[in-house]
Amino acid sequence: MKKKLISLLLASTMAVSLLSGCGSSAENASGQEEEVTTDAEGEGGDTAAEESDAAASGSSDAISNLIAATEGTVDLTLWCSETEAYQTVMAELVDDFKKTYPDVDFNITIGVESDANCKDDVLADVEAAADLFVLPDDQLLDLVKAGALQSVDATYTYDPAATNAASTVEAASVDGTLYAYPMTASNGYFLFYDKNALSEEDVASWDNLLAAAEAQGKTVGMEVSGAWYLYGFFAGAGLDMYMNEDGKNVCNWNATDTKYTGADVALAISELCKNSAMKNCVNEDAQAFALNGEMIADVNGTWATSAFQEAYGDGYAAVKLPTFTVNGDQVQMGSFAGYKFIGVNAYSKNPGWAMLLAEFLTNEASQTKIGIATGEGPSNLVAASSSEIASAPALAALAQQSEYANLQRVGDNYWGPAATLGESLVEGNYLDIQTLLDEAVEGITQ
Amino acid sequence: MKKKMDAVLRHVFLALLAFVWLIPIIWLFVTSLSSYKGINTMHFFPTKWSFDNYIRLFFRPDTVANFPAWFTNSLLIGVFCCLISTAFVLMVAYAMSCMRFKGRKALMSFSIILGMFPGVLSMIAIYFVMKLLGLTNSMIGLIIIYSAGSGLGYLICKGFFDTLPVSLRESAKLEGASELTIFTRIVIPLSKPMIVYTVINSFLSPWMDFVMAKLMIRSKDPSDWTVAMGLYNLVQKTLVGEYFSLFCAGGIIVAIPISVLFVVMQRFYVEGVTGGAVKG
Amino acid sequence: MRRALDALKEYFGDFAHAVAKGDVWTKLSLLIMGSGFFARGQILKGALVTLLEAGFVTAMGFSGKYVSKLGTLGTVQREEKLDLTTLMKTVNDYDNSLLILLCGIIGILLVFAFILLYIGNVKAAYRLQKRKEEGKPISGEVNELINDKFHVTLLSLPSLGIILVNIIPILFMVCIAFTNYDIDHQPPTYLFTWVGFENFKALFTSSTTVTFGYVFIRILLWTLVWAVLATFTTYFGGILLAKFINDRRTKCKKLWRTLFVVTIAIPQFVTLLLVGKMFSDYGIVNSFCSKIGLTAFLQNIGLVSEGLSYIPFLSKPGWAYVMVVLINIWVGVPYQMLSATGILMNIPQDQLESAKLDGASERQIFWKITMPYMFFVTGPSLITALIANINNFNVIYLLTSDYVTSSMKFANSNAKEVDLLITWLFTLTNDYSNYKMASVIGICVFIICAALTLVSFSRMIAGNREEEFQS
Repeated sequence: MKKKLISLLLASTMAVSLLSGCGSSAENASGQEEEVTTDAEGEGGDTAAEESDAAASGSSDAISNLIAATEGTVDLTLWCSETEAYQTVMAELVDDFKKTYPDVDFNITIGVESDANCKDDVLADVEAAADLFVLPDDQLLDLVKAGALQSVDATYTYDPAATNAASTVEAASVDGTLYAYPMTASNGYFLFYDKNALSEEDVASWDNLLAAAEAQGKTVGMEVSGAWYLYGFFAGAGLDMYMNEDGKNVCNWNATDTKYTGADVALAISELCKNSAMKNCVNEDAQAFALNGEMIADVNGTWATSAFQEAYGDGYAAVKLPTFTVNGDQVQMGSFAGYKFIGVNAYSKNPGWAMLLAEFLTNEASQTKIGIATGEGPSNLVAASSSEIASAPALAALAQQSEYANLQRVGDNYWGPAATLGESLVEGNYLDIQTLLDEAVEGITQ
Repeated sequence: MKKKMDAVLRHVFLALLAFVWLIPIIWLFVTSLSSYKGINTMHFFPTKWSFDNYIRLFFRPDTVANFPAWFTNSLLIGVFCCLISTAFVLMVAYAMSCMRFKGRKALMSFSIILGMFPGVLSMIAIYFVMKLLGLTNSMIGLIIIYSAGSGLGYLICKGFFDTLPVSLRESAKLEGASELTIFTRIVIPLSKPMIVYTVINSFLSPWMDFVMAKLMIRSKDPSDWTVAMGLYNLVQKTLVGEYFSLFCAGGIIVAIPISVLFVVMQRFYVEGVTGGAVKG
Repeated sequence: MRRALDALKEYFGDFAHAVAKGDVWTKLSLLIMGSGFFARGQILKGALVTLLEAGFVTAMGFSGKYVSKLGTLGTVQREEKLDLTTLMKTVNDYDNSLLILLCGIIGILLVFAFILLYIGNVKAAYRLQKRKEEGKPISGEVNELINDKFHVTLLSLPSLGIILVNIIPILFMVCIAFTNYDIDHQPPTYLFTWVGFENFKALFTSSTTVTFGYVFIRILLWTLVWAVLATFTTYFGGILLAKFINDRRTKCKKLWRTLFVVTIAIPQFVTLLLVGKMFSDYGIVNSFCSKIGLTAFLQNIGLVSEGLSYIPFLSKPGWAYVMVVLINIWVGVPYQMLSATGILMNIPQDQLESAKLDGASERQIFWKITMPYMFFVTGPSLITALIANINNFNVIYLLTSDYVTSSMKFANSNAKEVDLLITWLFTLTNDYSNYKMASVIGICVFIICAALTLVSFSRMIAGNREEEFQS
């Protein structure tokens, strides 16, 4: 511990000397020193509020400073989702960005990277990763933990805190520091259904939904054994699962003193899964089932929109998640609210331009274009309420569900044990439901 | 009569077995001719046939699939790996089998032990070694990775050289031939089966490996990938619904160079596999 | 021990002797390594060693600072500061533990190699000096390299390759097992450092939440069972199939052989992914089974639990264990068939003939002549196959990627019941950046494999057979 302290002190003095070297004001330097010495984890970034205020007022100066200091070609790489829609719209936006700064010579390459692999690929070698990358919110924490994300200490063209919902900004922040630029707010889940087969009443509750499906000999899908989806049941019943400051999960899914006990909820899930119309299946299987007409409703997200549109044709509809029965009461399912961010690599060779590009790609106009091209809902509130976007059924359903959705802030230890819990409930092969929950909670909170 | 029954049963059994072995291959083939892009989980044969996947594979590269580029990359890497690996294997095998020098046995034991270490684990270290050399993200780096360690696989070849009569080498020596001449003029021409065996094995590695290639090739531009990387990417969760039949078509096409190699060299292959171990 | 010490004494004794008795050129080669060779007219060699010396000095200049930090693996953590008014970033001169370890290892290897070269060089210079004094001719250097020293020519490049992609990475990973390189200590931003045997302790202790010990034993057992099953099923399967096809009563041998070999032509990862999809929970095999009522039947007899509407071919422990072995047979038998065919053709015919004359039945011939011969010929490759199966990454990884464990103990250690040690350590590094534990597991795999090989290969390494063959 002593060694660490010394190294921190050393580092902080070094930071100070570096700062004075490049002629920053004394206030900034002292702010930095304080940050470094108090922050035992050494997160690297800092968010002194005065600083960003100061910077915002001089934002145009900063950009012109940057342009003046830029020599030669600026090389930037951007990783984003592999779909044709994403690639095309991003290429267009990058062209627009180049036009905004005609005096600078850019060489911007767009790489294909599926969102799910972003973290693994970046962490394998941060220095060789892209300058900017699109990441889903659940990867934010690990990336910050590895020091791979450049903190957003100031913005120059718009203020994310003002244009996005507070919850969105919170999702992109760790310990109050913003680490990424919110881009979409539609990475959550809701219910797709075929309105030719199901009425609005049917989709209001699981009981009705399954009864209706069973009557028609069709099925309803949900990946109950997926930790991400399973959360919805427990959260809906008011049980907690989140990560606290020290990186450990807090989870009371085995509680016996809450309004609905953990065992009640688990039992309810188990009952649902016993219904023959209920199909525990992953996204790709669900899409296949929907396309062959067997599945008339599925809990899924915007990435599946086009498949369900194709499958249900004019019956295509989406709605918030149904209620389920716990102890005889109807309880609304909760969910994770999901976001996609653009992150700037802390090891980028052109941090300034990378940040400006990230800002550009997430401003209101760009978000609207991305939203229209990809069917994902913008995080920018104005963009989200624009008529072309708000009218999409999937996004409307997400908006309905957002009232019951929680910020996804969970530690790595959640996923394995929770998936196993879901698997056990689906199969019903447990001896005692309370023991099962106790073990799961122990694993999650380890 | 009994004999006839026996023969019929024998062939029926073989046919049954062959059928089991071929089902996945047939499925691969018919799916590659399906017009439905995802996985057909209900029917074995496609409901609508189409040749479009192959056309798409070769003439319509998109943001995730650029098969022609993958194919060329893999072919290039394969050819170079072949050359280097074969040379290395023959060189080490000759040194270990035909020469006598201090520390030879120790080297042999050491090389066997070295081969025991799980390769998956040292991947990240290899990556950083290559990064120090500035060879990540390049074909050259991959060629080095696939072929540099090939010297370790000399054992079978050494076994083969051991079976060559010593008298052959000794008489050449008496006539004043150098070790180099013996190696290139006498031993190599005699070891055709071994060369074929090594060629096939080293040619195949870049077509099979996706883990190492994925780590080494950091580029996110599909035209820089190898076949294995690219095809593996096509069946990832987010893509499989759109690209499964394309993946099948790719699998069929990849089989072509490998089959050609096999057909040409099958005779030698059988000899090569066993030649090393069989008494001469 | 004694002998090693004596050898060491002799080694350095010779060196001291060479230095003491050497003439001016030999002594000068202490400083400029090539001088001894230059003086005796071996220009090429002289130039080469001098170049190596220069190369070493520059390399040490580069890696020296890393070697000196090996003890701590770095102390200065990365600090960055973005100047908000110019958008320029300043970063301190930070240490990268990973680079320090890697370059440190390379540096140490270089030092060792250099010392050996240095001592050898002085001795060689002295030998040359003596030859000259005694008036013996000095052979041409090129001639030497293609004759007596031909092994040096042959081995240098392959060895360099092996050092580069095998030895250095292995040393590096072994070192990682003694550090705290995990998700909380990831370079380049954060430093990791030495922790001694902590990680090994963690592997062999178990508590309710730290389940590495329990999971390790479980996975180790399954790895061994798998390796034995996978090796022997494909081995015997291949031999039986080859025997069957090569039987004189079988018609169209070539056709049958080709039918099986077709499966080899398609790269393994393609077929494995494909078969994995076929047997997935809602895959085509399952829809077929439920159509013909097999699923319901299996549920009735209790082989499939009531809660499932499908047969969990690759998603429940029992089923998955059986399925991966079966699929591995499918993958492996054609290869074995091919090589067994070759061996069967080479069985000494005279033995078979005489056995037949003695009235041995076919079965007797198979077990008494064919199989012993097969074992004799393929024995070593059987061990190699066993090792390869312990490290069989592809089959398990590609087939069970959708597998969700239903055991909390496994889940808590990021493992699955069907994982082999090798796939487990891959998950640990790739998904959880837990390099320290992965290294520990890797070392265990290594020890197991090495022990297995040493026992079985010892005869081969001893090299009794090679002379016998070469007669």
